[in-house]
Amino acid sequence: MSDRSGIREFLLAFADDEHLMGQQHTEWIGVAPFLEEDLAFSSIGQDELGHAALLYELVLELDGIEPTDAAVDQLAFRRSSRDYRSCHLVEYTTGGWAEALVRHWIYDTFEELRWEQVSDSAMPRLASITRRARREEAFHRRHADALLDKLLAAPEARSRITDALQTIAHLVPGLCEATAGEASAIAAGVTAGPTAKLFEPLARAIEERFSPSVGVGTDETGRFVTSATAGLTTTDQDQRTRRSDWFEPLMARMREVLDYDPAAVW
Amino acid sequence: MRRWAAAVARSWVAMEDFEAFLDGGGLVEADDDMPDPYRQAVFAFIEMHANSELMGGLTERDWIPKTPGLRHKMAVLAKTQDEIGHGHLLYMVAADLGVKTRTEMLEDLFGGRSRFHNVFHYRAVTWGDQVAIAFLVDAAALISQQAVFKDCSYGPYKRILRRIIAEEGFHMRLGEDRMMRIAEGTARQRRMFQESLDRWFWPALQLFGPDSKPDDPLLRWHIKSERNEVLRDRWVQKFVPMLQGYGFSVPAPDLRWDDETRRWDLGPIDWAPLQRTLAQGGPDSARRIGEAADNWQRTAWVRAALSKGGARSDSSTVADNSRVSANGGASASGGNGGG
Repeated sequence: MSDRSGIREFLLAFADDEHLMGQQHTEWIGVAPFLEEDLAFSSIGQDELGHAALLYELVLELDGIEPTDAAVDQLAFRRSSRDYRSCHLVEYTTGGWAEALVRHWIYDTFEELRWEQVSDSAMPRLASITRRARREEAFHRRHADALLDKLLAAPEARSRITDALQTIAHLVPGLCEATAGEASAIAAGVTAGPTAKLFEPLARAIEERFSPSVGVGTDETGRFVTSATAGLTTTDQDQRTRRSDWFEPLMARMREVLDYDPAAVW
Repeated sequence: MRRWAAAVARSWVAMEDFEAFLDGGGLVEADDDMPDPYRQAVFAFIEMHANSELMGGLTERDWIPKTPGLRHKMAVLAKTQDEIGHGHLLYMVAADLGVKTRTEMLEDLFGGRSRFHNVFHYRAVTWGDQVAIAFLVDAAALISQQAVFKDCSYGPYKRILRRIIAEEGFHMRLGEDRMMRIAEGTARQRRMFQESLDRWFWPALQLFGPDSKPDDPLLRWHIKSERNEVLRDRWVQKFVPMLQGYGFSVPAPDLRWDDETRRWDLGPIDWAPLQRTLAQGGPDSARRIGEAADNWQRTAWVRAALSKGGARSDSSTVADNSRVSANGGASASGGNGGG
């Protein structure tokens, strides 16, 4: 794999995660537990989609393609499944609002770490996008934290939130999985370090956030794990090249209008 | 609890004094000791507007995840967020009237016990419908809201309407822009949109309601400033030539141009579909209300947990409410507009 391909894979994974996370948030407008949450989820969804569009533009520039909205959409919606680099956590169809909230918290906690890794990127536009994104991500995380502070203090809600965490915890390591050729992105200074290194601080944050429902320990290699992520150091994502079963129905929904008339401009 | 305005509450001895105050351009505030029929009428009007904003958001949400394009999706999401944001503001203004709390209003809505606009009793079945709603329905809502704002006697509502109207203007332009892309698009797109027009033209027109009654209290009390038929005609005179100009046909078999009045005449209007929606018997009423109610139930644990923790998921009232029964004194025939 060439250096350029490694960088491209890295950016594409970032963009695809943002895109599908934003997409998942759009599903909650109008059906959140109260009106303020409808508004919050749609606002966060817009931020994530906006980040995705900016990151797709970087990929297009790397490909030597003018980053028009049409080109962004082509990249965002028109690849074959095997060319996406999303992790399974953002492809996952949640079973309810508790899972959506826990995923939102986990994803945005991870995002803070991920954006930090590229804050001094040698790619100037990525560094500039990061400045804006970090301001927004801090708000996202505060939003999720404020809700969890209250919900984890109420027994029934705590039990629902903990169940949700246990349901989706197996998808957490995949969030921290690198794409092939990430070493090229690190060598070129696009990112400061391996994505896999973010697993440990993320697991620590999960333990801290959901304690005492979630225990803490070390696995057979001495690596720090929480009970929610123990034994989950491997994924079936194959460097993010393998899609989950949730992906095709999600993409079919996203492409429904585009597929209605491929020649159309909407 | 005192309101921030801290004005001295006013009262009126007789309805004649109150009406003279309204006729003189007076603005009523939430703290005022307003006559109960006025309180009930303005409450029912705002409650229906709030319900309509929320149900409008639910109608649109079906298609948001399918929006064709990343930045396009952001725009559509922002629009629906505005609509629900309008509902949020309006529920607070309505709750301050002390008739029902926000939670009571929402539970009445999801229980099928209160009303929302006729158009949101229909289902958006294609992407073309989504565009038709933004184009035709938002424009109808905007025309209605502008007329309410112009002479609205209830101060808190008038102030909120200023913001709502500004945002609805953007929504209508978004709808126009998307309609124009379709008009210049492929034969398949145009066919899809013509079918959407066939479905949505009449419901959008009926949003204005039948002709106002001669003694409509909403007009007398300056809650509305113009008669339903005047607003409806304004919409017809704008949209008939616009649709024809873009090469679409208006689904009105009796449509004719009246050379004498220099106006488009649609012919007789069948109000039966509107009446059915008022009785929650529209084509999509049962599903729309049922799904909203199910969702409200499924997320009850969140509201319960937050209320125990001292948080207020029902941050509904600013004023201290005295609860009286709401008999919905306002016009039952629409004429308000939630886009």
